Order: sequence, then structure tokens, then C-alpha cells
Amino acid sequence: MKAYNEQWIYNREIVGQAERWYQKQMLTDAQITAVRRAYPVNFRQTNGFLEIGLFLFTTVAILACYLLPASVYSTLFSDQITYGVFNIAFGAGVGLVGRWLINRRLFYRNGVDNAFVVMLTGFLAFGANQFLPNGLSVATHCLFTLPLLLIVLWYYGDTLIAFFTIAVFYAFVFDGLLKFSWGNEVLPFVMMAVSGLLYLLARKPDFILSQPTIRSSYYTDPLNLAQWLSLIVLAASGNYFMVRELNRLLLKPRPQLAPEIMWPGLFWFLTFAIPTLYLWQGLQKKDRMLIILGVLSWIGAVITFHEYKALVPLNTALTIGGLTLIGIAVGGIQLLRSPKNGFMDAPDDDSPDEFFIHTETIAAIQAAAGTHPDAKHGVRFGGGDFGGGGSEGKY
Amino acid sequence: MSPTDVLNELGKHDILSTDQQAKLADYERARLFSVHWELRSMLYLGILLVSSGLGLLVYDHFDQIGHTALLVAIAAGCVASYGFAWRYRPKWTTAQTQSRSTFGDYALILACLLFLTLEGYAQYQYNLFGTRYGLATLLPALLFLPLAYRFDHRGVVGMGLTALISWVGVTVRPLELYFKTNFFNQKTVFSAILLSLVLIGVAFLLKQRRVKAHFTDTYLTIASNLLMVALLGGLFNFDEWRIGFAFGLLSACLMLDQYARREQSFLFLLMSVVYGYIGVTYLFYHYIHPQGDTAYYWYFILTGIGVVYYLISQLPKRDTPHESL
Repeated sequence: MKAYNEQWIYNREIVGQAERWYQKQMLTDAQITAVRRAYPVNFRQTNGFLEIGLFLFTTVAILACYLLPASVYSTLFSDQITYGVFNIAFGAGVGLVGRWLINRRLFYRNGVDNAFVVMLTGFLAFGANQFLPNGLSVATHCLFTLPLLLIVLWYYGDTLIAFFTIAVFYAFVFDGLLKFSWGNEVLPFVMMAVSGLLYLLARKPDFILSQPTIRSSYYTDPLNLAQWLSLIVLAASGNYFMVRELNRLLLKPRPQLAPEIMWPGLFWFLTFAIPTLYLWQGLQKKDRMLIILGVLSWIGAVITFHEYKALVPLNTALTIGGLTLIGIAVGGIQLLRSPKNGFMDAPDDDSPDEFFIHTETIAAIQAAAGTHPDAKHGVRFGGGDFGGGGSEGKY
Repeated sequence: MSPTDVLNELGKHDILSTDQQAKLADYERARLFSVHWELRSMLYLGILLVSSGLGLLVYDHFDQIGHTALLVAIAAGCVASYGFAWRYRPKWTTAQTQSRSTFGDYALILACLLFLTLEGYAQYQYNLFGTRYGLATLLPALLFLPLAYRFDHRGVVGMGLTALISWVGVTVRPLELYFKTNFFNQKTVFSAILLSLVLIGVAFLLKQRRVKAHFTDTYLTIASNLLMVALLGGLFNFDEWRIGFAFGLLSACLMLDQYARREQSFLFLLMSVVYGYIGVTYLFYHYIHPQGDTAYYWYFILTGIGVVYYLISQLPKRDTPHESL
């Protein structure tokens, strides 16, 4: 019934877990073979870099297919209804071809199928919105588009679509509140409440899905993404800097400096309380997402404090902040040399080794490039040649 | 899906004995939670902040703090960090090794960053290199690359190569995703091409001789990007050399493609295809420059589908009896 074979997705998770046990020598060769045979996964294999290339060039081809008839039959742009019908028809065509490719080539997140899903959704959403009268609010367009996004999300379980769906939902809430005179003031609280609810739903998908185990496998990545995004928005909505600067952006006319907001004490409290809550619960429940976001939002809180109550210049703040992080990290590493309270420093199979290695190199290069003296500092004028164009010769 | 769910599922299929299920359940219950990468990411972030902070401190306050005192303080930090790294250095070998201290790698990178700050300060304040600006970037390269090999540090390889590339006038900042470089200057383009070819040659030579073979991909990633961007820069900007640059680009793409498929390293395949596509599209525009938009759209449709088909053919093989063509 759905775009991808649900059984294979379910099987993939079982085989994945079994392979982790196998790497720990807790399963025998015969057993892992039996698992693979009992739980077949016949999707075409993938690779991250090929996915990028496939997504990119599939998108190029689809967009060119879209623009070709548009350039030949200019009447397609003559009015909104015709334009809307054309986009919906083209989107439906993209959907049919994408579905055909998924079934014949056994794609599952290979890049090609993702591109088809995103293009399908984009054309349908854009086309459908052409039927709405002019002058409607962003919130109305978002609300109108949400059912389509949810249907596509239900059918494909695509992570990018999940991102767009959540973004459109937040845009609907955000813009919808601005319609009211008191919208500005309650905006942070509504965003926090909505984010909290979204997080709870993403943590307990049984509320919205039946047959939890097999079906939730289909939506594992979208649900993970929803958790990350809702926690990020929740922390941002309570952050003093975000609330104050956003309030400035929403005021008309826009002031040069952000004025003080209502309940500043409450938002200062939330700026530090939410990160603390994340970190505390993350350590308590051994939840990697909460630990990471707790640390990052604590850093954000400190940056916020420095922004408004700068006790030292930026250079000193950076140095002290850096030394503090180094101290905490070194202390943590020393403390956890031997495992304590269920935590350890040694890497395990959950650790994203390869990603970190690349990140390490990129971070080092970025830092080094930023520190390099400029080799062209003594650039001298003159001596250049013009190449091509109409003129020629030295100046 | 939790490990418990998987255990229950496997139990139903009699793949696991009851004893084994119990053993695995105990293992999962007692499993320790690793914060290895979180702590190291925090350590790296701290090092970057300290380096940035000290860098700003140098340029913001050099008038107020005694020059000598500041110079001595940074130099002391630099030497201390090197000293720490050296004290826990791994035994020399051409194979892959690790520092004997958890913090050795981080001390080394902090030392290198402080060295750059120190050098920048010395140049800024004392004009140490005079007008020989190339020396300011060559010196870190000559220092960092040997250190990278001695301490087996991939990040420092990247820093050394970046310094070397800066020496020929190319600025590389990966997180900004572009080369802040004057590719309208023919000398810069040829210098970049020559350096990238030398680096690629060195990478393959060292790999063949099994000297830190795990560094090869770092060399190739940096040098190949430099080569490709320089060739495209030449293709776009120098009419009289265009055929030469086109041929160079073709050769480079074929080389990367061959390496990618031999090593099953798909980053290089992606680089080959994307850079090659940009070059071909430019040539199509420049030489064919067809009238009307229709031909352009057909170009993108046909070449897009062609590239997609090619990349699909490179996907790792799996025994897929269900697939039909």
C-alpha cells in the first residue's frame, strides 16, 4: 500500500541489530546467515556520496522536463488556473514515474527516489496553491498545504518531506499567531507548547500509528528528525536573545536596537533552565539527543548572556569559553576512563567514527585557514591583462 | 525498534536459543553508554575557541599588552603543547599509530594553531618576513607536514596541505565552500595545477610505499578539489588555453573516476561527475550556444538522465533477484 516495501524496512532494522551483535561475537556465523535469510532486504544498496549525485542530477533532469513544455507553450502561464493545472498534472506525472522506478529498480533512499518525491511534492503544492485567491496570508497557504505534505509523508516516509512538513507547520503556527494583537507576546509560549507536544508525539508514535513495531520502522528517520527539530525550536523559543531579537524584527517600524521584552526575568530563567533540563534528562535517561542539544543550548545560553551582559571583551570570552570546554572535556575523559554510573569514554558501535574523522579534518583546516597570514597582503596594482571581451592590452 | 523487540522477534523464529536470548538481554541491559565522541567534539570546539580568542586578543589588544609579554605567553603555550604531544608520541612506524595519551592529538593541534597565531602576530607586529609573504605560509607547511607524519595526525595533514596551497595564492576555507582565490590570474591557475599534481603524485607514491597509507584520501580530497577548481577557472577565463584546460579537465575526471571505482571511494566519483558536468555544460554553452531555450532544456534532460544512469550503475551490487529492468 505504501511506496516502499514495509516488510523489508522492518527486516533491515532487525538485520542491522543482529549484525551489531554479530560484530560483538554474540551470534555465530550460522545464526547471522539464518537471520539474513529469514529477514530478506532486497532494496538496492546505496552510498552517501552517490546519493548526493543521484539526487542532484535527477533534480536537474526533472526541472528541465518541467521547463521544456513551459518554454514551448507559453499559454501555460497565461492565468493562474491553467498554471495550477499544469503544475499538478506535471507533479502527478513525476509521482507516477517515481513510483514506477521505485518498484522496478528497488530504490530506497538512493537519491533518485528522494528527488522524485521532493519534486512531486513541490509541483503539487505549488500547483494547488495557484487555485487559492490572491492576498491570502502565509498561514492560510501553509494550512492548505499541510494535508498534502502529510499524505506524501505517510506514503513515502521521506526525511526531507518530514522536514518540509514540520517547517510548514511551524510557519502556520507562527504566522497565524501574528494575526492577533496579542500574538507577539504569546508567540514564544505557544511555540514552546507546540514543540513540547510535537516532541511527545514523536517519542510515542503509537498515538498516531497502529501496529507499532512494523509501521514505526517505516517512519524511524522522520520521527527522529521531528524530535531534533522540536527540541531545537523549544530551546530557541525560550532563549532570551531569540525572543528579544525576533520581537524587534516583528515590530513596525523596526527599531535599531531591540527593546526590552515583557517578562525578561522569565526568559532569562528559561534561557538557562531549558538547557539544564535537557542535560539533566539526557544524562538521566542516557539519551544522546538530549545530551548533545543540552550542551549546545547551554553554549547558546552563555553566548546570549555575553551578548547582553558582556563582562569581558569577545576575545577574552572566547578564550575563557574555550578553556572551560577543554577543562570539562578533559575532566570528563579522565573521570570516565573507568566506566561510572553506566557511562564510559571508550567508543562503542553507536559512535559515528567516519563522520567524526571527516569533521575533525574539516574543522582543523577551517581553523588553520582562518589563522593564516594573508599571502596576498602586499598586492600591487597594475600589470593585469584583460582577457576576452572587446578590449585588449595592458592598463 | 529496541534490541528487546529484535530479541523477541528472533526468538519467535527459533534462531536464538533461550540461553542466548537471556545472555543478549543481559548484555543490552548492562550496556554502557559511550560519550566518547561527544567529549572529543567538546574538546575540539574548546581548542578552536581558544585559538580564535587568542587570535582576536592579538589583533585587538597588541597596543595595550606588552608585545614581548604576549609573544612569550603564546610561544610558551605553543611549546608546552608540543612538549606534551612529544612526551606521549607514538613509536615511529609507517603504519597507522596513535598517541600514547588520550590528549596527545589534541595537544598537537592546539600547538599548531598557536603556532599560526604566533606567526601571524610576529608578522603583523615585527614584519618578520618582510615582503616575502610566501614564507609566512610555507613555514607552517614545512613544519606541519613532518609533524603530521611523526604523530600520525590526519587533521594536521589537512592543515599542512592548506598552508601549502595558500603558498601558491589559493585560499581554502572548506566551511565557506568556495575558494577565495583570483582564478583570473594565469600564474595562480598554473601554480595551483602544478601543486595539485605534485601533491597527487606524492600521495600515490607514499601510498605505494605504504608510508601512512591512510593519509592518501586526505591528500587526494584536498589536491583533487584544488586541481578541478583551477582547471575550471582556466577553462572559464583563458580563451587561448581553453582546449588545453578542457583536455586537462577530461583527464582529471577520468583519473578520479578510475580511482573511485578501484577503491570504492565514492566521494571522488561524485567530484569527478560534478566537476566534469560543469565543464561540459560550459563548453556546450560556449561553443554550441544554440538559439532559443528548447535546446538547453533538452541538453539538461538528456545529460541529467545520462549521469543518473551512470551513477546508478556504480551503486554497490547486491544479490537482488526481485529487481527487473
